[in-house]
Amino acid sequence: MRRIGIVVLAALAFLGLSALAEGNIKAGFIYVGPIGDYGWSHAHNEAREIVDQGFDWLETLYVESVPEGEVETFIDQLVAQGCNVIFATSFGFMDGTLAAAQRHPDVIFAHCSGFKRAPNMATYMADFYQVYYLNGLMAGALTKTGKIGYVGAFPIPEVKRHINAFTIGAREVNPNAEVHVKWIYEWFNPAAAKEAAEALIAEGCDVFAFTEDSPTVVQVAAEHGLPSFGHYSPMYDFAPDYVVSGQLVHWEAIYRDFLKKIHDGVYTPKNLQHVDYWWLLSQGAVEVGAKPGMMINPVFEDDLKACVIDHPVFGKISAYDLVMTRYNQMADPGVTFDPFQGPVYDRKGNLVIPEGMWPSVDTLITLEWAVEGVVGPWPGEPEE
Amino acid sequence: MRRVGPFILERRRAPSRAVVIGVSVLAVLAALLIMAIIFAGYGVNPWHAYATIGKSTLGSRYGLMEILRRTIPLLLCGVGLVIAFRAQFWNIGAEGQLLAGAVAATGVALYSGIPGPWLLPAMFGAGFLAGAVWGIIPAFLKVKLRVNDVITTLMMNYIMIYIVDWLIHGPWKGPTMRGFAYTDIFPKAAWLPTLPLSRVHWPTLVIGVAAAILAALILNRTRLGYEIRVVGESEGAARYAGINFLRVSLAVMILSGGLAGLAGVGEVAGIHHRLLSPTQVSMGYGYTAIIVAWLARGSPGVAIVTSLFFGLIFAAGDVIKTVLRMPFQVTGVFNGLILFFLIGVEPLMYWRVRLLPKGERWTGKAGSSGS
Repeated sequence: MRRIGIVVLAALAFLGLSALAEGNIKAGFIYVGPIGDYGWSHAHNEAREIVDQGFDWLETLYVESVPEGEVETFIDQLVAQGCNVIFATSFGFMDGTLAAAQRHPDVIFAHCSGFKRAPNMATYMADFYQVYYLNGLMAGALTKTGKIGYVGAFPIPEVKRHINAFTIGAREVNPNAEVHVKWIYEWFNPAAAKEAAEALIAEGCDVFAFTEDSPTVVQVAAEHGLPSFGHYSPMYDFAPDYVVSGQLVHWEAIYRDFLKKIHDGVYTPKNLQHVDYWWLLSQGAVEVGAKPGMMINPVFEDDLKACVIDHPVFGKISAYDLVMTRYNQMADPGVTFDPFQGPVYDRKGNLVIPEGMWPSVDTLITLEWAVEGVVGPWPGEPEE
Repeated sequence: MRRVGPFILERRRAPSRAVVIGVSVLAVLAALLIMAIIFAGYGVNPWHAYATIGKSTLGSRYGLMEILRRTIPLLLCGVGLVIAFRAQFWNIGAEGQLLAGAVAATGVALYSGIPGPWLLPAMFGAGFLAGAVWGIIPAFLKVKLRVNDVITTLMMNYIMIYIVDWLIHGPWKGPTMRGFAYTDIFPKAAWLPTLPLSRVHWPTLVIGVAAAILAALILNRTRLGYEIRVVGESEGAARYAGINFLRVSLAVMILSGGLAGLAGVGEVAGIHHRLLSPTQVSMGYGYTAIIVAWLARGSPGVAIVTSLFFGLIFAAGDVIKTVLRMPFQVTGVFNGLILFFLIGVEPLMYWRVRLLPKGERWTGKAGSSGS
């Protein structure tokens, strides 16, 4: 019995080696939520399916709803099933993934949204801040009360960065616009999102954006006849007359590039120490739109074209043209504009990004301040 | 005696151990049978499914270690709940008491400055205290104000969940976590040692087994244990016998909450090494422990067996997700079915089912009941 076991093991090891020699990749994806969440994990899984179909040398596995403390267990199980590439898709997986990377030096790891790397562990992120800025330009043009509502998941740098970029955009069109923020302390909680949206409506907000993995805010706003911006997944279909635009993600852009470079031998388990994908509009990892291919809902085109402002750089320009101009500046390979280009002041009056400077990635991913125009509690806000 | 169709139901006074074990095994088998149909529905051969689950859990060192790791918090909470349930104190708050222990351990690990070798004992001490404090609040409310213990213990869970959330987003948010809602990592001196090549933080396991033995001794060999049992049988009789109801309730909840608090210490010091979102600190161990204690039927020693069983169920769920590659909801269905049958067969333990003798079978009216 034991001998048979050894023979089987040897055969498996041989098969594993030969699979690697042929350059075949078996990639395991670890998700923090259920793939049906219509948000983060859903988007990663869609991307997995796209790359799985795109490369005939690629096989993929996934595990959903993995608790943060359990990630090592699940990585070990995926490696035991022959995975030679592991994607860990939540910040909370960081330390567990690093520990697993040290335990499996021949396996390639990529961790999403974290900052720890190793020779066999890269990091990657597709970020929305430019997209939120463009949504903010539209929101600033569409608000009549000057109050824009934002339902935020958690007061962490990622969400704060997005609210700031959104506010900067809104105030570029409408210098008096305010963004009223309510936190719900959940990534997915339709009931809390509904309550927060109703409260914001009661405060007089008339345009909405949010960070929560359901279309609830879109639906609540639409019930009141108010426009909103979809988040993460295409939410146009939930309120075709009210979804102006939104944020869409294309993780497959990163997965395709990363896996192809492993297949081509560019990436090995020895040279990933400095591989960090921070992919934005210009790399096609994110998209502005109510749904793919629809950057601005035609229902709102006339309103945006009719809103003409006196812009410090472009002079007389419509909000619609401003969105297009800024989009082109950020989507072209040679990016010529950043929403956070200095000077940026926080709402306590401190200069946080000096005149003419662009923020570093590090500044962006550790950002804790709120820009002028953000209204509401801001846990972790730096002192003056 | 009761007649149902061709069957006679006879009430059993107290089910024997053999009956309890036999019926429970039957229940688990019934659940596995239903689950087999679900496996087949997903296109997975049930034999293959169970063989895989068996091989990946009981059949490998790694699997066994995973079972043990899940057993630790279930055992500590479960033993505590056995004590509470013996006194008819319906403590549904082990989850919150566990989190209270995790919070206290985190506070000691990060902010106390206690030197190396004393750090872990101090964390366990603080964890026990915090769990106990979280437990005696409902005890006071029950004894002094007659507030329903099920409600208060349950609601205390939510209070603690929000306290943990507030701590990690507010005052305890770790400067090295780049704004994410975690405390900093504990210093190494606050990490529990683990069995080699596993995540079994064995000191907590030892404490759990010791707690089970100690709880058995307390319940069966001490005056307090006697009082707990009397209070559990009849509160009125206990009062009549001059047993101090407040004292017994407090003692029960100090032990019950404290043991859950120790489980929380184990989770943060042994697994996470920091405080994080409450749903990540505990996989609902405090709630599952209710079933662990229920099935242990008042015996702390049996809680070792039932917590191991649920450790196995947790580990099996992981296998279903990864090796068999089924949706994570199937894991929930699997656990749910086993619970459903285990609790559903309860009446079978108290009623003997017999077939009517042939001659009588059609004489009585179906569904009628005799004496």
